[in-house]
Amino acid sequence: MDTIKIAIYGKGGIGKSTTVANLAVAFAEQGLKVMQIGCDPKADSTIYLHQGQPIPSVLDLIRNKGNDFALNDMVTEGYNGVLCVEAGGPTPGQGCAGRGIIAALDKLAEKGAYEQYKPQVILYDVLGDVVCGGFAMPMRDGHADWIFIVTSGENMAIHAAANIATAVQNFQSRGYAKLGGLIVNRRNVAREMEKVEELAEDIHSRIVGVLPHSPLIQEAEEQKATLMEAFPKSDMADCYRQLAGQILAVCREE
Amino acid sequence: MNQASRLLSTYTADVSGVCSALYELGGLTVMHDASGCNSTYNTHDEPRWYDRPSMVYISALKEIDAIFGGDDKLIRDIVETARQLQPRFIAIAGSPIPMLIGTDFSAVAGVIEQQTGIPTLGLATNGMHDYLSGISMALCALARRFCHTPVATVGSHQPSVNILGATPLDFSITGNIEALCQAFQSNGYEINSCWAMNSDLDQLANASAAQINVVVSSSGLALAQWLKAQYGTPYFVGIPWGKQGAEAYFHALKQTLTSGQDGCFYTGIASQSSGKQVLIIGEAVNASSVKAALLLQKGWGNIQVACPFVENTSLLDAQDIALQDEKQLRQLMEQADVVIADPLYRRFRKNDKAQIFVDWPHEAYSGRIYRQQIPVLVCEHFDLWQKGWLKVK
Ligand SMILES: Nc1ncnc2c1ncn2[C@@H]1O[C@H](COP(=O)(O)OP(=O)(O)OP(=O)(O)O)[C@@H](O)[C@H]1O
Ligand code: SF4
Ligand SMILES: [Mg+2]
Repeated sequence: MDTIKIAIYGKGGIGKSTTVANLAVAFAEQGLKVMQIGCDPKADSTIYLHQGQPIPSVLDLIRNKGNDFALNDMVTEGYNGVLCVEAGGPTPGQGCAGRGIIAALDKLAEKGAYEQYKPQVILYDVLGDVVCGGFAMPMRDGHADWIFIVTSGENMAIHAAANIATAVQNFQSRGYAKLGGLIVNRRNVAREMEKVEELAEDIHSRIVGVLPHSPLIQEAEEQKATLMEAFPKSDMADCYRQLAGQILAVCREE
Repeated sequence: MNQASRLLSTYTADVSGVCSALYELGGLTVMHDASGCNSTYNTHDEPRWYDRPSMVYISALKEIDAIFGGDDKLIRDIVETARQLQPRFIAIAGSPIPMLIGTDFSAVAGVIEQQTGIPTLGLATNGMHDYLSGISMALCALARRFCHTPVATVGSHQPSVNILGATPLDFSITGNIEALCQAFQSNGYEINSCWAMNSDLDQLANASAAQINVVVSSSGLALAQWLKAQYGTPYFVGIPWGKQGAEAYFHALKQTLTSGQDGCFYTGIASQSSGKQVLIIGEAVNASSVKAALLLQKGWGNIQVACPFVENTSLLDAQDIALQDEKQLRQLMEQADVVIADPLYRRFRKNDKAQIFVDWPHEAYSGRIYRQQIPVLVCEHFDLWQKGWLKVK
């Protein structure tokens, strides 16, 4: 089976990292080798996969050690064998985070991460909007093949999702990743599903899954774990499992 | 494709202009860049590099520094170096990478100054403007920082001048600035300071003591305007090229001195539409002064200046031209009977043996390649140079 490479985009704070980490566990439960790569200077994408303990980011390693570090310094095995990587980046207001994502992903490839670990699913969790070239890196050739956008029915989230979809569309001639669909992470606002359906139509895409708003997410975070680890038997856990199945189906369609 | 240069080279950039302007003043100058600016500067733009030491450094910005901002490292390195070298001042000049990541040079300079107690200038060059704007930026920053109100001086009754905008990038090191200072002296002026060749920082700091400021390249204009606003000193634009030129020049300079009204050597010396067509390519003040020197002789009437710096044209005469692209230059060169320009422009010579091409090498364009041929043009030196023209084709 070819590696399934997925990038998750969406408005800041919409629930990308939460969704990606829970999906990672859901894929791992199916026996798949999963690698989750946080593409965000906050370096918090995988945090609940390793008990809230920070791991060294790729850019911190480059900054402190030059090239003098090993592949496994960048890759930490987390819950259920999920391989966790954080690109890292500058403190807010300084430097160039976009260039950082590019440098981190290049370093990962250069050190042979994909060949050594042979992940079957790679998940890129990408910060906020595609503001510049660096944040489009995960959708370039050689990285993700599919993009899923997390949105709620909130206007700002829909607006951001539409922007990201336009960026993906613009890159089609370059052979970048394709838009796989929308993931609705519900906030229970008025006409939520209707609005997201309209969006899907506007951007010629589809909704691949709906996640309810669940207080268990915060409870799991209190335990420094993903919901999939803390409440594996919950309905919400099944929602993530179902979403994982739908995403795999989309990616395997072609 | 009009904007593309297929044959033309580029002039030196703003970063080198900063370094060149500050070279002789005992400061520590740091280019914030990977290393490219450094080698361009010391191999091509700085003729004094091998004979005269100066504290010009590169920050050696790496990709990872650009990603993280790298300000801390830059500050740490400069502070450490400055503590060892104890320069009179520190200047930090930017390049394309810091521009893209928005490095705040004045803030960085402020932190360094706090830590070292040494006056620090943050100069937000980006490597994309011409050297003249870099020189201008550096000279103005120096003036704002160091110029003080005049201290009463006893002594000479001769008027004194500041020469503004003198760097090897425009005047090389072949003797022009020395001859220029001599010409002022033999015409009854004292040199108060020269910004910035052959003067030290204390002389520059005392610029307010002069009665008149002389702008010898467009890089000196902003400084002249600043000195005028601060101290009321009038300024005069131009260079006394040629024997007749120098006579007219010092006559007009005296008028500015007595009237207190700013003046310009070459405006008002009009070109005619008849006679041989002459095209002069170069920096506005320099090329216009060559034009004036020729117009003041018999037999030269139809002369046009083409200035390759679209950003520095405020000192061009109305009939003269700011060059936009190669196509325009090609057309101008087609029409000319005589072209006076850096030898690199020979590539555009029309295939007509009758056209005279006078090599006038410009350090900021062809660097050291033709340095030996760079003529001294002050007063009668110009006329000697001119005698050689008919021999060259
Ligand atoms: N389905 C959900 N139900 C309840 N809370 C949720 C849900 N999804 C996410 N959250 C909460 O929303 C908050 C933001 O989530 P998360 O950090 O995953 O967003 P993000 O899109 O990755 O943010 P950023 O853009 O800052 O990286 C978290 O506190 C998380 O607990
Ligand atoms: S917009 Fe992107 S490329 Fe530009 S500085 Fe910011 S992160 Fe870097
Ligand atoms: Mg996140």
